[in-house]
Amino acid sequence: MSNIIQLIASQGVSIETIYLILALPFVATLIAAFRQLIGVKSFGIYTPLVLTFAFWAIGIKYGIAIFLVIFITGTAVRYILRNFRLLYMPRMAIVLTVISLAILALLAVGGYLNKTGLAATSILPILILITLIEKFISTQVEKGFRTAAVLSIETLVISIACYYFIIWDIFKNLVLDHPEYILLLFVINIFLGRWTGIRLSEYLRFREVMKNVDK
Amino acid sequence: MFTFLKNSKGLLGMNARNLSYIRPNNLQGAIHLANNKLRSKEALFKAGIPVPKIYGVIRNRKELEVFKWDDLPKSFVLKPNCGSGGKGIKVIFGQKKDQSWVSTEGGKMTIKDLRNHVMDIFEGFYSFSGASDIAFFEERIKLLKILKPYSYKGIPDIRVIVYNKVPVMAMLRLPTKESGGKANLHMGGIGLGVDIATGVTTNAVMHDQLIEKTPDTKFKLSGIRIPQWKEILEIAIKCQEISKLGYIGVDIAIDSERGPVVLEVNAHAGLSIQIANLAPLKYRLKKVSGLKVKNEAHGIRIAQDLFGGEVEEEIEDISGKQVLGIIETIKIGIMNPEDSGLGIKNEEIGKEAGIEIAKGSTRSMEPTKIPLSRGELEEIELKAKIDTGADRSSIDEELARKLGYEKVIDEFKEVVKDLEIENNVTKEILDEKIKDKLDKWGDDFDTVVIKSSHGVSYRLLIKMNIELSGIKLISKMSVTDRSHLEFPVIIGRRSLGRFLVDPSKKTRAVFGKDAK
Repeated sequence: MSNIIQLIASQGVSIETIYLILALPFVATLIAAFRQLIGVKSFGIYTPLVLTFAFWAIGIKYGIAIFLVIFITGTAVRYILRNFRLLYMPRMAIVLTVISLAILALLAVGGYLNKTGLAATSILPILILITLIEKFISTQVEKGFRTAAVLSIETLVISIACYYFIIWDIFKNLVLDHPEYILLLFVINIFLGRWTGIRLSEYLRFREVMKNVDK
Repeated sequence: MFTFLKNSKGLLGMNARNLSYIRPNNLQGAIHLANNKLRSKEALFKAGIPVPKIYGVIRNRKELEVFKWDDLPKSFVLKPNCGSGGKGIKVIFGQKKDQSWVSTEGGKMTIKDLRNHVMDIFEGFYSFSGASDIAFFEERIKLLKILKPYSYKGIPDIRVIVYNKVPVMAMLRLPTKESGGKANLHMGGIGLGVDIATGVTTNAVMHDQLIEKTPDTKFKLSGIRIPQWKEILEIAIKCQEISKLGYIGVDIAIDSERGPVVLEVNAHAGLSIQIANLAPLKYRLKKVSGLKVKNEAHGIRIAQDLFGGEVEEEIEDISGKQVLGIIETIKIGIMNPEDSGLGIKNEEIGKEAGIEIAKGSTRSMEPTKIPLSRGELEEIELKAKIDTGADRSSIDEELARKLGYEKVIDEFKEVVKDLEIENNVTKEILDEKIKDKLDKWGDDFDTVVIKSSHGVSYRLLIKMNIELSGIKLISKMSVTDRSHLEFPVIIGRRSLGRFLVDPSKKTRAVFGKDAK
């Protein structure tokens, strides 16, 4: 462990906290790389970031389960509410209400089935997950269900990848031993920000065009 | 793998588009203007660019309360001012007796439905940033006849990418059933690549996949010639200058009455146009970057030279003449059977059909353009030989008989039978001898003396309506026995004044028929 980390830890800050703060810029960079190099779009940088750390706090299994419950319930409620012609804010409040009830039911069922892992999770990450539904719903309204669903799946995939990245011991030790590596992120992001190459997804999308380029 | 990477070099990806083209060329102020449909429309209108008329604007709830719905016409388009990608656009194409409208997405729309939609627009559901928006009603473009078979309910439009005053790539976008009558590609519209030099469509894509025919009606999508193409390119370049966007996508629709009309300008033109054209965009952008382009005509010329398809089309553009091959499919009008034999009435039929046949001395045999279509006259289609070695066009006797000239031909043969035709005989001498008949037949018939290696022959000339490569002509055809020859009709020099002949050209029509 590096000297700086030891110094901070000696002041009473938990290693866990230090690690998460240091890991956050790495995850953010990873999400940026997903977008610029691979072409996985997701909902901005905030949503996959929060989802990653929520998974970290809740555990991947329950994390995904809760994500799916929120997504499916939210979409269903939106479809039902479409016929009522309500204004945006009250409509979203109703969606959040139904989702809260669904999560409560999920916790109850979990408790009944003696899945104590679910009940033991801290509530704050779950609350954050619930609020993410606004992003999904507003995207559905703006860009249609198809686009929103694709973006949601992409967000989920990125978050799962990021989750496995931050629980990776080699990475964890590396960051705690050499926190100065964080400076590398500036270089990487400047490179990503100037990168004008073709994204991996675009190779797929434009394959017909490339086949037809002579010379 | 390496050729794969090499081929991708000219491709324009999202990263390069944003960083290398939009960022340096499209300044924030210009993007702002482009994203605001009403303001950009106003700017274009002031500069003399044709845009759809505005029927009304609703800015807030107060205006919505007092809006006079009855003043709306039977068909219109309701749009959010700051929408993108065709979201939130309602196309209304008819009104029912109970005052409700019909939208292209299918289904009735009452005033209440429209009000609710306007409310949604206010809420900012369809705007770029989700910020609250205003709604407006716009003229619905009237569909061009030739594009009708290809469009589902909505109006097709043409997207032209202009960079550095050069129209680098273009695409025709067709609305489909899936896209709900809108021409936007990611909603399921069809994108057709367009040859920038000629305005003829090449490939077609739907959902980024190549297709050949329209999904609903199964019409072939390649080879559609977009009318007023040069005008469209010119307007697109002007739009770039007015909007001050260095890299711009201009959407233009063709109204059946008004001609090309600019629907909107885009600061963030999409990349699918590359698939529709099967051509990489960056390669083209690099080629025109830094060029000094003097004016619109110059920009169009550069685009045609650099990115145009077929050479022969360019010759047609330069000379203003159609290029013909040696064998062409032509149409010949059939004489009205009622007048067959009398032969005099042909001109009157022509008048009824709106044809004006040029009168003059028998010497003026220059083909005359027929100003109106001869819809009422029947015609036949056949292959003819284009013969620049022949002065006049000629037609096989048997065919001329079938076309309704039997009686005149018989009469002519009858009177000519006894004539002595010597080597130094002239038309005037012979005409004098059969004057009665010639007067009886009228202006549509004449004679000609043809001298060839076989000797001298005296032939009947018939004025016929023909259509060659889409151009209608009146040609005087000499009647002769061609039954031993491959082609019953040859087209000679006198009918070819408006054409160029390229012996290496094979006509599509001939090919198409042979292929079957």
